[in-house]
Amino acid sequence: MREALRSWRFARGLKACAAKGDPLLAHYAQADWPGADTPIGDASLLALDFELDGLAGNAHVLQAGWLTFDARGIDLGTARSFDVKSVRRLDDDAVAVHGIGEQRARAGDSLGNVVGELVGALAGRVMVAHGASIEREVIVRVTRVHFGIALPVRSICTLALERRLNPNLAGSGAYRLAATRARYGLPAYSQHDALSDALAAGELLLAQLSRMPTDTRLGRLEAL
Amino acid sequence: MVSELSDIRSFLEHTAPFDALDRDTLVSAVRRVTVRYYRSGEEILASGGHNEHLYVVRSGSVELRLAGDDLTAHLDAGSCFAFPSLLRGGEVRNTTVALEDTLAYLLPGDLFRELRQKSTAFRDFFAENESARIRNAVRDLKSRHSSLLGQRSIRELLTHRRPVSCNPNTLVSDAATLMSHHDVSTLAICANDKLVGIFTDKDLRNRVVATGRSFDTPISAVMTPAPCTLPESANISEAMAMMAAGGFRHIPLLGPDGELFAILSATDILAHLGDSAIDTGMLVARAATPEALVAAAERIPEGFTRMDAGGFHAEHTMRFTSALGEAVHRRAAELAEAELGPPPVPYALMVFGSLARGEQLVGSDQDNGLVIDDRVDAAGRAYFEALGTRISDTLHQAGFVYCNGGIMARNADQRLTLGEWQSRYDDWIDNPDEDKILRATIFFDMRVVHGRLEVERDLRGYVLEKVASNRLFLSYLARDAQRSRIPLGIFRNLVLEKTADGTKGFDAKAQAILPLIAIARTFALSEGISAVGTLERLAALAAAGRMAKGDAESLKDAFLLVNELRIAHQAAQLRRAKAPDNVIDPASLSPLERDYLKDAFSVIRGGLESLKRNLAGGIA
Repeated sequence: MREALRSWRFARGLKACAAKGDPLLAHYAQADWPGADTPIGDASLLALDFELDGLAGNAHVLQAGWLTFDARGIDLGTARSFDVKSVRRLDDDAVAVHGIGEQRARAGDSLGNVVGELVGALAGRVMVAHGASIEREVIVRVTRVHFGIALPVRSICTLALERRLNPNLAGSGAYRLAATRARYGLPAYSQHDALSDALAAGELLLAQLSRMPTDTRLGRLEAL
Repeated sequence: MVSELSDIRSFLEHTAPFDALDRDTLVSAVRRVTVRYYRSGEEILASGGHNEHLYVVRSGSVELRLAGDDLTAHLDAGSCFAFPSLLRGGEVRNTTVALEDTLAYLLPGDLFRELRQKSTAFRDFFAENESARIRNAVRDLKSRHSSLLGQRSIRELLTHRRPVSCNPNTLVSDAATLMSHHDVSTLAICANDKLVGIFTDKDLRNRVVATGRSFDTPISAVMTPAPCTLPESANISEAMAMMAAGGFRHIPLLGPDGELFAILSATDILAHLGDSAIDTGMLVARAATPEALVAAAERIPEGFTRMDAGGFHAEHTMRFTSALGEAVHRRAAELAEAELGPPPVPYALMVFGSLARGEQLVGSDQDNGLVIDDRVDAAGRAYFEALGTRISDTLHQAGFVYCNGGIMARNADQRLTLGEWQSRYDDWIDNPDEDKILRATIFFDMRVVHGRLEVERDLRGYVLEKVASNRLFLSYLARDAQRSRIPLGIFRNLVLEKTADGTKGFDAKAQAILPLIAIARTFALSEGISAVGTLERLAALAAAGRMAKGDAESLKDAFLLVNELRIAHQAAQLRRAKAPDNVIDPASLSPLERDYLKDAFSVIRGGLESLKRNLAGGIA
């Protein structure tokens, strides 16, 4: 029932995209979207991570990184990473974490360009992120600003999936990206780089899928 | 746009052979990588299938199951696999299975071929087979250590002076005048252009003046006849070894036709070397008391570290260190005799193991024994008990510590008559069992370093003849060699052992050198080859057509490579005032060295397999 509801809402969102008259949104709406009963092995995926300058609802996007993949492997040739242009005085704490100085932020791409690239890449693909709700909310927020519409996004959250695969682990730290990856024997990557974190989430999904039946349906993973 | 994928790049930057690529090449290569994850137990490549990728293990480990064989290979992070199938056009021969959860980076076959075109290091690394790879490794190590002495011929350091010579009938007074006139300390005595003897300042002092001999004596009566010589093409380390072992300072060099070419003095080498390594040999030979001998022997480790720093090849460092060890043993016996009086019957001091093979490094314990003439009586046995005890005690003081296994002259069962030794060997050879073989292999590497008993012919010859015809005994030896087997995991994955202080490493002696020695020894014994050194045995086996030349060379290269690493390791420990051992931390090796080491292990593995096939005869 919930799955049907989600499909219906997504289809409605695509209709609204198509009605907008923007070629990029139309392309997005007309993409070959996999059905909820598609085996995960046949689905096109996109691992995504944003680096933000804070946790607030209006936090700025400093960096975006993604790569497309499927259950068979991650093709590094599809990797994209953008520093987002910002003239705002950066939050000192965020600068310390992300290592992106104001100078570098000024030299970045405009958020509009980055959003355009992302919408193009995401067409027909299911987004994968660790704690996917953050990435979803950011996409909704920035597409409202740039297209006047909340882009409908399908997503798989590796964090939620991990809570189902390994429930009852003690402490919230146990489900963080690095700790979760370590459980699957995945190497430690440098954190707080959007592309690194996107790759880390993509690899984690491959590892998690290795614990699940190969015919696991897409809808079951999106439902989390 | 910034798309660095820096984690993957920096991993490859530290992984052979990608570490040899320039940064731009590496960055663009990273973008052509596919990342895949395999669950533990999952099949990655199936024998008989087709492959179009080079695989690099990023985390976890995989197992190669070699088709048509029960061999397996374990590869861990940083290892590459599946390149043989790329080299032969895609046909997969080895089934590969993830042993743990494994993340792998896959490079497309065409990128692999491009990189091979572009980089010699990359191409060498993926040479068609292990033997070629390890040969490249030894070549690399050699050029890196840019050996000064091993490769350099003694000819180069002679400021060529025609040696001053005279004929054997020359009177001592004329000879002395000649030496004085030419200002030389050494005179060559030649008959018909052939060197027959040598006469030095020291001989003039000791054999003429001090003994009150007439200056009209012909030089032939007081010269050292038939001196040790070297061809002028010999290298410096050979000359040093000869001087150290013999305790002399001059070596006549002969030309291609045996004609006298020059006289090499220790000073020539010292001037070149700039240190006093040879002096240790002189001090050993001259030591007048056990204390002096101990003091001289204490200098051996220092000379060892200098040889390492000086870029000596492993072969020469072992030979030179062994030569000094031999000199210490001989002098210890001479001093014991001086103290206890002349032996009642002839005897020989025999060494076993690494010293016998001329493969000693520093920190060895003693492995020796006495072979006594069969006519010895009870009183004589008491003499040899005292003698053996003195020798062992002095050696212990001198750094050749007491043998844990009791293989030393201070123990009664290491002081046997020739007949008793023969019976002992008879028992090992005629009634072999696992336990006996375990203790006895070391006894099949033996050499006399001092004494007047004909042991080489009577004992070694006897043993050699007996062993070669005893297939059952040989099969036990071949099987015993498998005991020191490379654990399965070591083939492409270094299996680490814990040392006394808790650090982890691999035991270069137990896991590589001992199996290599066992391979060479067992094959050599099976062929009745009398050589004792591992390299000499391999060379003799190849020369006799008993081992494929390529196999012998691969084993030789593996032996040298691991010994290079051992020597560097021990020299580093000595410099830090640590007791030398053989446990090497793989983290102290470069990625390339680690990989070459893995190749050495697979060569050893092949040697053990061959031993099993050829000699273990169904019981291994």
